[in-house]
Amino acid sequence: MVELTTEGIEALAKAMAIIGTGFASAWAEKVIGTAAIGAMVENEAIFGKALVLTVLPETIVIFGLVVAILI
Amino acid sequence: MSYPKRMTKILIAGHKKHLETTIDTLHEADMLHVEDFVEGNESDFEIGMPIKYGEEVSRKLVKVRSIANTLNIKPTENTIQLTESDISKELDVQLAQIDDEINQNSEKLSQLDVRVKEIESAEKEILPFLAFDLDLGYYSGYNKLAVFSGTASSLNESRILEITDAYQLFTDSGSKFFVLFVAKSFEKGIQSALSDMGYREMKAPNKSGYPSDIYAALEAEKSEVQAQIESLIAERTALNEKYGNFILASDEFLSILSEKAELPLRIATSEHTFIIEGWVPTSNLDDFTALVLKKTENGVYLTTLEVDLHDDKEVAKIPVAYENPKITSPMEAVVDLYSRPKYTEIDPSSILAISFPLVYGMILGDMGYALILMTLAFLVMKFMKSDSVKSLMYVLIYCQISALIFGILYGEFMGFPLAGLESHGVYTPGLIPGLETLVFDFGIVADEPLMFPLHRSHMIMTFLIGTAAFGFLHLNVGFIIGFFNIKNQHGIKLAVLEKLSWIIIEIGVIAAAVAYLLGLGNVLVGIGAVIAVIGVVMLAKGEGIKGPIELPGLLGNILSYTRIIAVGLSSIYIASTVNDIAFGGMIWTPSEGFSVMMFASILIFISGHLLNSVLSIIAPGLHALRLQYVEFFGKFYASGGKAYKPFGHLKKYILEE
Repeated sequence: MVELTTEGIEALAKAMAIIGTGFASAWAEKVIGTAAIGAMVENEAIFGKALVLTVLPETIVIFGLVVAILI
Repeated sequence: MSYPKRMTKILIAGHKKHLETTIDTLHEADMLHVEDFVEGNESDFEIGMPIKYGEEVSRKLVKVRSIANTLNIKPTENTIQLTESDISKELDVQLAQIDDEINQNSEKLSQLDVRVKEIESAEKEILPFLAFDLDLGYYSGYNKLAVFSGTASSLNESRILEITDAYQLFTDSGSKFFVLFVAKSFEKGIQSALSDMGYREMKAPNKSGYPSDIYAALEAEKSEVQAQIESLIAERTALNEKYGNFILASDEFLSILSEKAELPLRIATSEHTFIIEGWVPTSNLDDFTALVLKKTENGVYLTTLEVDLHDDKEVAKIPVAYENPKITSPMEAVVDLYSRPKYTEIDPSSILAISFPLVYGMILGDMGYALILMTLAFLVMKFMKSDSVKSLMYVLIYCQISALIFGILYGEFMGFPLAGLESHGVYTPGLIPGLETLVFDFGIVADEPLMFPLHRSHMIMTFLIGTAAFGFLHLNVGFIIGFFNIKNQHGIKLAVLEKLSWIIIEIGVIAAAVAYLLGLGNVLVGIGAVIAVIGVVMLAKGEGIKGPIELPGLLGNILSYTRIIAVGLSSIYIASTVNDIAFGGMIWTPSEGFSVMMFASILIFISGHLLNSVLSIIAPGLHALRLQYVEFFGKFYASGGKAYKPFGHLKKYILEE
């Protein structure tokens, strides 16, 4: 039988925090990035704003990282 | 901190007979941003008609551009400038001549192209007959013989034998091509037998002579024609070199004329008068007025107009030009990437010149990479002449200076620590022998002592708190700038309610938290809480319901700055993994001495760090940019100004007379 140790559970919890938020960021960025590129084809001048919108969800994984470090 | 260039609204009115002179003068001055006239119902004025020469100019411009397109003339830096009078004198003659030469050239070229196609199709026809050594004259002209030539998907000789044995069959083993000579009387029977076998006819070309001879002759002609085509193309390149400069100069010359001719479409005119409205930088106003009055010999009336800076609609019409010292002007490109500031707000370029490289340096913080990328930026600047590339390289250099300074603070060189450190009983040697890390016996977080140089990977918690604190300060700089922006646009009261309220809330929350943590008693905690509540009420009054809703976002914004350490650590780990693979004993260690594997190690070291250098522009760059655009700009920057585009033309190929 596998024995559950506190460190093991801690490591799992950290991993889950990163996996969940990482996946969420990636998914959100995928959706926004596609739309942003579509919009930029119409009007190249909005590059700056498109970039901002695309990187907005990065914060989610940063929060995940902070939580993982705090665990 | 500075505002965009101050502008003055100008009105120029005059009789139509002065219109052309006025337009020429305005174009020469290159200062007036013309405000487009909008035709209204109540106004007696209407949009003007283009100047007469416009039509001819556009026609020539189309010609010039089509020539540029045919000769593949690209804008270049090395040109011989021509004077305007030279161009206008020679334009018609030269254009006709160039057109003539191009026409001759392309006519010949298309004839030769047609000839090549003809030769190729003749070759294709003759190709199957190369298999048989028969004169092409033998394939036709018989009274008593029928000839079948072509391919059959399954040729069956026995079927032919069933009909007659008076035949001669030639087959090519490689392809399915065959030739069959048979007595005319059996033609019908053979025809139907062949069509059952999937016969497709390929007639012999109506020529005489052996196929191999004819083919060789065709090939010879083809290569001769192709040589001619190449010489014509070379002639075209020569035309490009001969006329390129003139075409570029006349393109510019005609573009300028066409801009002038079309200006009346943007101004108000009546039957005999015209009115031009526009904006001139206030600093140039005197020069501008003097020039216009002198050139038109006081024929026009010029006056400045008052502008109400509190009227948002009016403000939105004012064009925005940056006015920054040379050292911070490269950051204008970064601001433009987001959006130009409004006329009435503080231009963030100079603040960005400090805060963007600062954040970038905090993230990268490696002397090795900073030096590599700085060298790269200098090299690019040396070899690229384009202004936009240059200003981006300046930004990159500012960032690398900051990264170098933080690299010294962090004691990092290509992922190696510079100073040795003993932590939790494990000793890691530094790159510089004898240099040891100074470890203090106190720290911000209990089990993480402060040290110098700052080993980021050993002080993660300290850095999390530190970067969040930096974010807090950075955001408050944003609130303060926002305070001044609102004060200028809408007065002090709204500025206090909208921006200062955030700072009051922060003070209240911090006071309450500090009082609680230090156990100073409920009274002090309560005072802090009351201050915070007052702040929230002010905010709700200033921004309405959306203000308090945004409150939790502030915490998110502050935490967002912890990416400074997060992204930084990822860069360190990539670098130190490369170092471990290269020199950590997996392939080779310096203690083994010279061996063949040493080269493999060096190769991995170089390619790994090259990859990380590229990542070191992208990752810290994007994250630093995002912190400015999203978190920082969100606190004060409205943006959306219109770029200042004076009516005029930067002359590149034309010499001023």
